Amino acid sequence: MTTINPITDVATAMHLSEASVSVELETPDMTLNIGPQHPSTHGVLRLVAQVDGERILSVEPVIGYMHRGYEKLAEVRTYAQITALVNRIDWVSGFANEIPFIVAAERLMGVEVPERAQYIRLILTELARISSHLIFTSSYPLEIGAATPLMHALRERERVLELLEGVTGGRFHPNFNRIGGVKPAAGSGSQTRKDVQDLPAGFLAETREAMQRVLDVCDDLDTLVTGNEIFRARTVGVGVIPLDKGIDYGVSGPNLRASGTNFDLRKHTDYLPYDRFEFEIPAGTNGDCFDRYLMRLEEIREACKIIIQAVDSIPSGPLQAKVPKIIKVPAGEVYVRAENPKGEMGYHLISEGGRMPYRLKIRTASFSNLSVLPWLLEDTLVPDIIAILGSLDFVLGDVDR
Amino acid sequence: MASRPNTDWIPGLAKGMWLTLKTLFTKPVTVNYPLEKEIPVPRARGVIALDTDACTSCMLCVRECPDWCIYIEGHKEDIPPETEGGRVKTRAKLDRFDIDYALCMYCGICVEVCPFDALFWSPEYEYSELNIADMLHDKDRLTTWLETVPDPPALEK
Repeated sequence: MTTINPITDVATAMHLSEASVSVELETPDMTLNIGPQHPSTHGVLRLVAQVDGERILSVEPVIGYMHRGYEKLAEVRTYAQITALVNRIDWVSGFANEIPFIVAAERLMGVEVPERAQYIRLILTELARISSHLIFTSSYPLEIGAATPLMHALRERERVLELLEGVTGGRFHPNFNRIGGVKPAAGSGSQTRKDVQDLPAGFLAETREAMQRVLDVCDDLDTLVTGNEIFRARTVGVGVIPLDKGIDYGVSGPNLRASGTNFDLRKHTDYLPYDRFEFEIPAGTNGDCFDRYLMRLEEIREACKIIIQAVDSIPSGPLQAKVPKIIKVPAGEVYVRAENPKGEMGYHLISEGGRMPYRLKIRTASFSNLSVLPWLLEDTLVPDIIAILGSLDFVLGDVDR
Repeated sequence: MASRPNTDWIPGLAKGMWLTLKTLFTKPVTVNYPLEKEIPVPRARGVIALDTDACTSCMLCVRECPDWCIYIEGHKEDIPPETEGGRVKTRAKLDRFDIDYALCMYCGICVEVCPFDALFWSPEYEYSELNIADMLHDKDRLTTWLETVPDPPALEK
């Protein structure tokens, strides 16, 4: 190699700069840490990405920052105490978490739940679904860069949460289901000032009105987001999950239905009396981020349909089946799965006949949905990470539990 | 979905601005918190009130609490007989009843298991403290919440 003399004239300088452009640039791969705290993730997730310029070579999600050990805690807690714990798994739809656990315990005990209690459970589960999906359909555009939809959706979500609070006393952590029904009159003594936990007066009328407003805000979201050119440019064709890949990775819920199936546990299992209502399961075609957004928007509308039907046909009657005062679940093993807003949630409950479960395995939707991430993010671009990550709609409490 | 008119030909910006303009003339749903206050629903789980007269310090709430945030101490007290030669009665006397709201997870199990109706939910929520030790509410403070306990709401049907 010859030594380069100091550039003296313009012609030489131009010649050299052209030469440097034509040389193939070797850029080393870079490790990019996204998280553990990042504004686009709903919780604490860390992604370790190997990037080559803007292109992602591989991504490794690091989870466990929010591990609270609920499965182990459940082994030393009574059934009533576990109900309070499982609220906190997916806190965006706390009520829906209780249902499969309570149903699992009821199946082992052979308790028949009264009709009215089942309807109340169903209505409140769907309200939780609406509140969860309203959060997604409005915060997902926020992650992509549109702040307005969030304000519109949260306004109506507040109304839904008020309905939940009016019945259960809690907005996020209802702790309302009991084995054999819903929360009975608190205390067993004289009920002078304590509350009998039936629906408060005016709940049914308020729910009908709120559902109308939720449907209106869905139309607003359609106006603001669905038809928006920028939103479409960021999401259509981005992060495609083919149906077979989705099934292989255990993706469930709206994320799987966006890929073109209408598999929904509300239609296939009988944990709640969904078979009495008419509703459709929306299914997508492309399996991209845009379809996943659309699925949730449509599911809000279907949930409104279910709630209005249930409110119109709710039977009267008792709220609680006859169960012993100290709950002991007979020995046995049961797995109950349910369609939660995020996807399939299952509880594998093993009892040895005591006041506490022997083992409680919790299958959460977000954990399985997140497992597709390393495959999905391979060979995408860095700006698409946020679009894809947000579209999977996971809650870190649901991932780590 | 098919029933709605197709508005794809309008630019997204124009549609968005139209919705914003419409919302501009609607009444705000937020409240100016320290000046105005929302009234919580009667069932809201805000703070637990204690009726010391009803409490027999039976410790059921302490045992059922999932995170052990209730502390009770009590002793038995002899009540002398009212008439000559009568029997001496014993009565449970509550010395200490503390709830640590820094630990409490507001599940309401203690209220539910209380067999003597000594615990009640109150929707009161303004009791934040600068010092975490002050979140431990003692017997007297828990009793003051009793007057904020609302009547239960009327029921549907």
